[in-house]
Amino acid sequence: MKFRIRLPYLLLAPSIIVLLALILYPLGFALRNSFWFWNLQTSPMPLYHSGLDNYRMVFQVTPFTEALKNTVLLAGIGVFAQFWFGMGIALLLYTHLRGMGLFRALLIMPTTLAPVVAGFLFRYLLEPKGGVLTWLLQGIGFPVPPQGFLGNANTALFTIGVVDTWQWTPFFAIVLYAGLLSISEEVLEAALVDGATRWRLFWSISLPLLRPIAAFLVMIRFMQLFNSFDLVYVLTSGGPGTASRTLSFNLYREGLVNYNIGLTAAMTWLVAIIVSIIINLYLFFIYRKREW
Amino acid sequence: MSKKNLSRRDFLRMSGAAGAAVAGGLSPLANLSRVAAQSDATINVLTVGDPWDLALQSVVDQFTEMTGIGVNIESLGYTALQARLINAFLTQSADADVIAVDQMWISQYADNGWIRSLDDFIGMDSDANFDDFLPECLYSLSTWRNHVWTLPIASYAQGIMYRTDLFEAAGLDPLPSSVADAGDWTWEDYFGILDQINGMDLDGTSMYGTTVIGAQPVPVVHMFTGLSASYGTRWFTQFPEAPWDFTPTINSEANVAALHDWNRLYGWSPPESINYLWFDAGTRYSQGDIGMFYHWTPYFYLVNNEGYLTGTPSPVVDKTATAVLPTRTAGGDQVVSLGGWSLGMPSTSANQDAAWQFIKWATGSEAQKAMGEVNVKGYQFADFSRKSNYDDAGLNEIYPFLGTQLEMMNLGDGKVARPPAPIYTSLEGVYGLQINQTMSGAVTPEQALETTQILFQNILSGNQMIPYGVDSFDDTLENTKALQASLSGM
Amino acid sequence: MRAPTRSGKILVYALMALVMIFFLGPILWFILLAFRHPSDAYNLPPEFIFEPDLGNFITTFVDPGNNAIQLVNSVVVSTGATLLSLPFALSAAYALSRFAMRGKEFIMNWYISLLIAPPIVFVIPYFILMSWIGWAGSYQAMILTLQTLAIPFSVWLLKSFMDEVPLDLEEAAWVDGANRFAAFYRIIIPLALPGIIVTSMFTFVFSWNNVLFPLVLSKQSTTTLPVGTISFFASTGIYWGHLAATAVVAMLPPMLIFLVLGRYVVRGLTFGAVKG
Repeated sequence: MKFRIRLPYLLLAPSIIVLLALILYPLGFALRNSFWFWNLQTSPMPLYHSGLDNYRMVFQVTPFTEALKNTVLLAGIGVFAQFWFGMGIALLLYTHLRGMGLFRALLIMPTTLAPVVAGFLFRYLLEPKGGVLTWLLQGIGFPVPPQGFLGNANTALFTIGVVDTWQWTPFFAIVLYAGLLSISEEVLEAALVDGATRWRLFWSISLPLLRPIAAFLVMIRFMQLFNSFDLVYVLTSGGPGTASRTLSFNLYREGLVNYNIGLTAAMTWLVAIIVSIIINLYLFFIYRKREW
Repeated sequence: MSKKNLSRRDFLRMSGAAGAAVAGGLSPLANLSRVAAQSDATINVLTVGDPWDLALQSVVDQFTEMTGIGVNIESLGYTALQARLINAFLTQSADADVIAVDQMWISQYADNGWIRSLDDFIGMDSDANFDDFLPECLYSLSTWRNHVWTLPIASYAQGIMYRTDLFEAAGLDPLPSSVADAGDWTWEDYFGILDQINGMDLDGTSMYGTTVIGAQPVPVVHMFTGLSASYGTRWFTQFPEAPWDFTPTINSEANVAALHDWNRLYGWSPPESINYLWFDAGTRYSQGDIGMFYHWTPYFYLVNNEGYLTGTPSPVVDKTATAVLPTRTAGGDQVVSLGGWSLGMPSTSANQDAAWQFIKWATGSEAQKAMGEVNVKGYQFADFSRKSNYDDAGLNEIYPFLGTQLEMMNLGDGKVARPPAPIYTSLEGVYGLQINQTMSGAVTPEQALETTQILFQNILSGNQMIPYGVDSFDDTLENTKALQASLSGM
Repeated sequence: MRAPTRSGKILVYALMALVMIFFLGPILWFILLAFRHPSDAYNLPPEFIFEPDLGNFITTFVDPGNNAIQLVNSVVVSTGATLLSLPFALSAAYALSRFAMRGKEFIMNWYISLLIAPPIVFVIPYFILMSWIGWAGSYQAMILTLQTLAIPFSVWLLKSFMDEVPLDLEEAAWVDGANRFAAFYRIIIPLALPGIIVTSMFTFVFSWNNVLFPLVLSKQSTTTLPVGTISFFASTGIYWGHLAATAVVAMLPPMLIFLVLGRYVVRGLTFGAVKG
């Protein structure tokens, strides 16, 4: 009997040990080195204890707050757009007209791409000279910035959001569609009999019933977009200026371009703290909903 | 195998010491080349995917035929090469015998003993014709703290390319192709011409005066510092002359003026050039709607093609001339940015003698000439670092601009234009960002350089560069010339 | 549901057509780019009909074919990461599916918090660690570090499949005298096999599409195809033709796998949380 009780933990142990090792090492490494001066452009080893200098440097020499603002903006607006576009498409699919099955199968294609590939696609389409999307938009009189959408400080971050939205709206669409399918027909029919309009039906019955799924999707996507590195790397490299710098890209630059390991370690901890706050807020939010 | 190599290396060390002692006498070189010729060694070479790499790969068989040493060249992109070298640097090991070194990496690698000084090889091997190198190239690419760490394989200065047909149409005189003819050729003259030709119509094409290279951080720093060095600016209070004082001087009046003028240049450029990388500007010019621009000298030949290795001659091929850079004041001092790549040897290489043979050969006059004569979809290499190559009639035939290029090299100073101080990359990162920000109109040049000054101050003191506690070295061109003379046995 | 009217149908189809053009058009346009001659990459107005040119594929995959090895590397790394994650994930998923235990919810959330943590935070210390232990640029460096994503993902998805295997089948086996392990092998594994295969396919795709780990931890000879595409952003210009050819090859396996997976796509993308 004793064996029974311990078995599940034994089964969980290997994966937890491996994962703990894989995350505690980097976090411990970063914690130690965040208090050391270590720049690979100066020395292959940490040189000396530097107190809180690295944490101070994060704010003094890297556009940290700007990157944080950009990151939150990108994730927030991106997820908002993806959710509502996805919902719209899910409702189209929900009409069950002939051919929707095929549409649904093909629609997911953008989501299957590696984000770098999605980035290349749009980099090509949006070239200021010769890009077909630029050409089309200019053709219909849309004000394309002369440096191109990716080259203009006012549009670069937004454009990254658009590309991510292109890639992930299909994901929202098919998942929300699956959610709509799981709502019992009887509930809906009963409401229809009561004379509710379709809009009312959607707002007061379907949407609330979708809430658990929606909360989950929004959390996952918000964090994925919050972490997004590949798209930024390929589309703008954070530019022009710092207009599309994100936290991930900042870390990449300090760590793997400037090779300032101490500074990167300090930034790592700041980002880790911010991320865990966000995740815990979400989890709190989801738990609370479940208790209803 | 490794034992054999070890003894060979020891032999080399001994003969190096002996060579210094009997310089000019019975040459240990004879031994050296005998050993090399019998060698069955294969060396690994890490290079970067720049145009010179293609030329080198096209002629490398000649080296193997001559010496019997096999060569594995692995050509990487810039960031991949850097990451690979940093990995090796971290563990103080390397999987290569010869590496391509950016001029900015020398101080880091040399100070940590990760690459090996080439002094003793050069000293005993008169075959290297060390005195043939342009001292400016050695100074900018290869020397650090009075040692030679690498030898230049491709040196780049900066110069002007312009459209002769457009100048004719505008009734403008040809630009000076030699400093002697330059008279009082100033940047204001340059801007005046741009103002005149910008927006002109040439055979139905509306022309831009020029194009800048605006992508941050590295490309824009490369090109802006070309202008700002010519304006006489310095990054630090005192460097490279001793005693080093890295207190930044980036917000100097001259630099503010340079940044204002840089933004004037952008005003005569295609708006998208704010995101241009080096090659974008070259390609744009070769497509035919740019009147005149300055760039690294490899573009003197690269603009002859429509794009890199397309094999299609560009429409400007017979309508382009080259010219020397102007000065800020008439007849004033000139500093030209000088950069490029050199070959070095990780101290962990087990094939040091073979590696030296390769470095000596690849940076030697004959191999460089052979590289210049490679014609794969156009001639692709004229980035010589040796006087003899600039004097070569055949090469001047292929690359008629070599005279202009040599004059720019002679005015070159890679240690002032972009000082190879440790942590240069971090400085370049914030500097490029601020320059780029002025172009997008987010900040004024004054604000940008004020911010840069503060950021430099923070970065430099954060990295223990202010105050500078380590020994300085009076790193002047004169000292490199003296080193060159002493190693050449003169 | 009430059937839409005729005009309603037309409206829905018209909107759907716009949606499909918007989401599939860019992919098709990029595939066409791979078949264009490099000098036609920027031809405007756009040409839809042209002589297809296989030159880009030949250069990248045949002669000199520098990208062919990257294709092999991608297969090695993605397969390796998938196989390595399976034993860890299977046992954990079984535990979470079959036992009541304290902190189960917490453990599940802990797995998912790894999935949504920023990988860049881990990758820079890994970069240095791998140099120190001599694994820099090795396959095992990528395969091991990919486990931070592969294991948590597989645990979640496998658990959702195991939850569907009825407990009474397993209990019947115990009655027959089989111990837990035997029951696991004889009952759970076969019944969950479709789920295991689906999970493996998703893990494969996610590993395949991951760029950050191979970008930082690979070297030229071990790097993967998606990273290989980035190298066409050269200092000498962007080689759109070659880039498109390699990118098209890189996007085929995930696309095909998603088409094969069909009705499991929703479940896989939501780590099993939404059944679809």
